[in-house]
Amino acid sequence: MIDLEQSEVIPDMWKDVFDSEDIRFCFNCGSCISVCPASNASPPLLIRRLARLVLLGLEDELLDEDTPWSCVSCSRCEEVCPMGVRPFELGLAIRRWQVRNDETRIPPSIVELYKEGYTQPVSKAVALRASVGLGELPTIDKYPEMLKGYQDMLMATDVVSNNDYMFKG
Amino acid sequence: MSKYGLFLGCNTPALRPDVEHAIRKSMPQLGVDLVDLPGFVCCPAFGTFPSADEDAQLATNAWNLSLGEAEGLDLAVQCGSCYSSLSMGSHLLKDPKKLTRTNELLAKGGRSFKGESKVRHMMDVLYNDVGVDKISKTITKSLKGLHGIVQFPCHTLYPSEVVGFEPDKGPPHVLPDLLEALGATVEHYSLEYQCCGGAGGFHKADAPAAHNFLKSKLDAIKTETKADFIVVSCITCLMWMDVQQKPLSEAGEETYNIPVFDYNQLLALCLGAPAEQVAAISTINRDAVIEKIK
Repeated sequence: MIDLEQSEVIPDMWKDVFDSEDIRFCFNCGSCISVCPASNASPPLLIRRLARLVLLGLEDELLDEDTPWSCVSCSRCEEVCPMGVRPFELGLAIRRWQVRNDETRIPPSIVELYKEGYTQPVSKAVALRASVGLGELPTIDKYPEMLKGYQDMLMATDVVSNNDYMFKG
Repeated sequence: MSKYGLFLGCNTPALRPDVEHAIRKSMPQLGVDLVDLPGFVCCPAFGTFPSADEDAQLATNAWNLSLGEAEGLDLAVQCGSCYSSLSMGSHLLKDPKKLTRTNELLAKGGRSFKGESKVRHMMDVLYNDVGVDKISKTITKSLKGLHGIVQFPCHTLYPSEVVGFEPDKGPPHVLPDLLEALGATVEHYSLEYQCCGGAGGFHKADAPAAHNFLKSKLDAIKTETKADFIVVSCITCLMWMDVQQKPLSEAGEETYNIPVFDYNQLLALCLGAPAEQVAAISTINRDAVIEKIK
């Protein structure tokens, strides 16, 4: 439940969260929720409620929300939204806003990507690959200059440069 | 002969390389040449940079796309998440400001991206480049007598403004048509369009709910169809639907043991490829189906 009496309201917070004016047209119809697999989770992912928190500027409530992270990325909400709010992308934008404001929200997987380029041990699955008759792939670790270039590129982005201690070493 | 950069992502080459081998064995036999992309990285998956920093997301998308572009190639992708992430990146990079910013970042890694290389799903290439007639005429074995149901990868359907390759509006039929081209009888059922529930953070947030979500789908398949197998064309659908049937069976009274195949695995088997290379890794035993492919 949203308690406006008890909450601090940040005017225009939505502009900082989502790079889209279309969010203002959300009229809470719930189409997004009706097609959302993660609306079956407990607590449920209720995208229209998240849109409300963003539009009302309820910073503390939005920072505390874990539910944007339970999205399966199926994008059905994006398909059915009658107002073009792009709810799936709103969910990702909320995650990014949380990451910008709370470093404990940074997904550990991005450190793996920075260091190795992959979310799975692509270059280490040699035995499994050999068992089905496949050799090694031209993974980025086999091209040290490319890996350095990839890391230099990422080091120029905010999430990596602002939290560089996580990525070095 | 058409030619594509083969973008494999992370899960397929690391966890299900038999699917990769099925792709490598089947596509060239149908006139599709696949070229490896040295220095490729994670697409990036939606739970990574897209959830942390849009600059890093688009730069990583563009890094991968630029590997194809430098060779004058579009990318062919099987994984639904990779396909969706790269398609979303391409879509967002139509914004000149975002493309300029992305190129500033790429330059630090010695690369650039013009926005020319496109992203194609393996089903798209098979249906729209190769065609079901050529597939039917080229296969040497068939799924005749076997009943299958399809699991549509959400990432290939939604949002239709950004992804997709169905030839017309209305219910999707590319995957069922491709399966029929192998001689199988395709059955339809009530929860056909429901997501498998396996991607993203749903099962991490609430595993029992994610299991129940899949159970509802499997129950519908069992009660409404005579399916001998499920066919997917997404590595996440494949692994989730294959791996989770065992814990679901152990948790309740119902037993679930429906074999799950990637489309390219069935295609490769129908082209005569050995199962120990193209359909070797699974939790649910698939031998009964493989033995009937003649």
